[in-house]
Amino acid sequence: MTWAQVARKDFEDAVRSKMLWGLVGVFVAFMAFVLVVAINTADAAEATSEAALGLTANFAQLFVPLIAMIAGYLAVVGERRTGSLRILLGYPHSRRDVVFGKFVGRSTVIAVTLAIGSAVSILLVALVIKSPDLANVAGLLTAIVLFGISVAGLAVGISASVTSRGRAMALAIGSMLVFWLVWDAMAAGVYAAVTGSLPGLTAEGWYFLLKRLSPIGAFRTVAEGFVGGRVPPIFRLGIEEIPPNTPSEQLVLSKRVAGQLPFYLKNWFGAVTLAAWGVVPTLVGYLRFRRMDL
Amino acid sequence: MAAIRTNGLTKHYDGGIMGADVTAVDDLDLVVQEGEVYGFLGPNGAGKSTTIDMLLDYSRPTEGTVEVLGHDAIAESEAVSERVGVLPEGYGLYDRLSGRRNLEFAIEWQDADDDPAALLERVGLGADDASRPVADYSKGMTQRLGLAMALVDDPELLILDEPSSGLDPNGIRLLREIVREEADSGTTVFFSSHILGQVEAVCDRVGILDDGELVAVDTVDGLREAAGASSTLELTMSNGVTADIVDAEGVSDVEVRGPRLRVTCTDSRAKARIVADLLDSGHEIVDVGSESASLEELFAAYTNGTAVEESTDGADGADDADEPPQDETPGSEVVA
Repeated sequence: MTWAQVARKDFEDAVRSKMLWGLVGVFVAFMAFVLVVAINTADAAEATSEAALGLTANFAQLFVPLIAMIAGYLAVVGERRTGSLRILLGYPHSRRDVVFGKFVGRSTVIAVTLAIGSAVSILLVALVIKSPDLANVAGLLTAIVLFGISVAGLAVGISASVTSRGRAMALAIGSMLVFWLVWDAMAAGVYAAVTGSLPGLTAEGWYFLLKRLSPIGAFRTVAEGFVGGRVPPIFRLGIEEIPPNTPSEQLVLSKRVAGQLPFYLKNWFGAVTLAAWGVVPTLVGYLRFRRMDL
Repeated sequence: MAAIRTNGLTKHYDGGIMGADVTAVDDLDLVVQEGEVYGFLGPNGAGKSTTIDMLLDYSRPTEGTVEVLGHDAIAESEAVSERVGVLPEGYGLYDRLSGRRNLEFAIEWQDADDDPAALLERVGLGADDASRPVADYSKGMTQRLGLAMALVDDPELLILDEPSSGLDPNGIRLLREIVREEADSGTTVFFSSHILGQVEAVCDRVGILDDGELVAVDTVDGLREAAGASSTLELTMSNGVTADIVDAEGVSDVEVRGPRLRVTCTDSRAKARIVADLLDSGHEIVDVGSESASLEELFAAYTNGTAVEESTDGADGADDADEPPQDETPGSEVVA
């Protein structure tokens, strides 16, 4: 098992490249932006630090996948195209070591990026507004990092499965567009096909599970445990038949599902989903990579 | 045990709907003995790199088996990598890292304790160069570093794919020295080239690959002998001559270009006799030159069929204006 060597090399290479620092810069800039928005939109002074966390979670749906995809989609196919994979595999690394080492290496890069970016922005929050609840901050930070790692798994899986950078990029962008724009519509479509009507204010439990099976839906689920409220989708499609003036308290999940929340709709299940998104695409990518000619 | 043994090795590329199907390597039985320096020769596109890719499990055979140092190349590719030093074709190093760091990674990955400085010195890379990022390297420097990385942990088998590409004459000389040193210390060396001169200088045996098939395996001398083109006599006559003034014995080909005669001899003793015969029969010789058969001709003899004939065909029609038309048909001047 030499995956750790591959991971270490990969991390060191990323640190040398401008990529890591570029991503940190983007993330910090994004957090500062969130902060400015939070300060300007907060109507009551007491709500500001919670508002900052909620907004962070909201915008993380857009920025975390973007950062993780950029950091990960060339992990394997980039080395394939430059020929350094021929060097790497000329030493006693198995193809499994390469794919999983890359996953660990890129996950570390993303985790460090998100941790540095988050730390800077939390410092800003503490300085400009007031210290938010540290447990919530730690929870949201963990959720963001987990989210980043799960998208990194998807990115590395894509990267291992294809033979050209262009195809990797197309799949990376395509999958993110599906998660941002199409997934919830698909879930509603499946619901309509099964039950004969679009989901309303209340719906079957499995419909909500379906929505939460995307990495973004899963992240919202986890993040909601730490921001003291609902994290709305970044792009609202308006497919569900919900009266436009419904108060937001009514949109909380426990009000929309009859009876007790099943286990698969609890917040922790989102973390399980995220973990699966990290592992399964990497595994599929490895299984394809294992059989391919370089 | 052979260092490399392939059995019925075949690599077929399916061209899909639009492309043509290609058989890059066709039923190849290759045996490289332990301790020998084996030159794997062939024109570009003959299938050399495809074969090497399959030895290293970079690509998978369509059919056949590959054994390297007794290990199955696919099932035990890690065991192969542990014992083999590789300079593959079309490789890239880690551009952002320094040359030394690249080498340090190679040493770490090979679980070896080599001294990076000693290896760098061996391939002629200075300390200044070694601390620069590889992105700044020339092709020749990259190739030297690649060679150093292949030498890590004193491998039992060195597989070098076109190792001289990008090297200047000094680099090529250094490469030759390193191959000799490694061979002397018992390392098996397998290297591919499309340039005969480099193979000739260091190889115990040569295998010629053409169109995915091994067309000849022998020593360089053996190949030269078998190809029947041992040496060439160049004569400049005082006036125009025809090919039939040269006696056929010990001669495989006579080429006429105006007053110049190019006689290819299978037996080098024929040269003196030809000169004597011509003088005896009253021809005046202005100049005499002699050379060993060019390796390109030898190479072509194996890869194109009868290359000696082919090399003369093109020139004849243009140059032999003074010859009777019936003598211009290809092959008419081939005496032997």
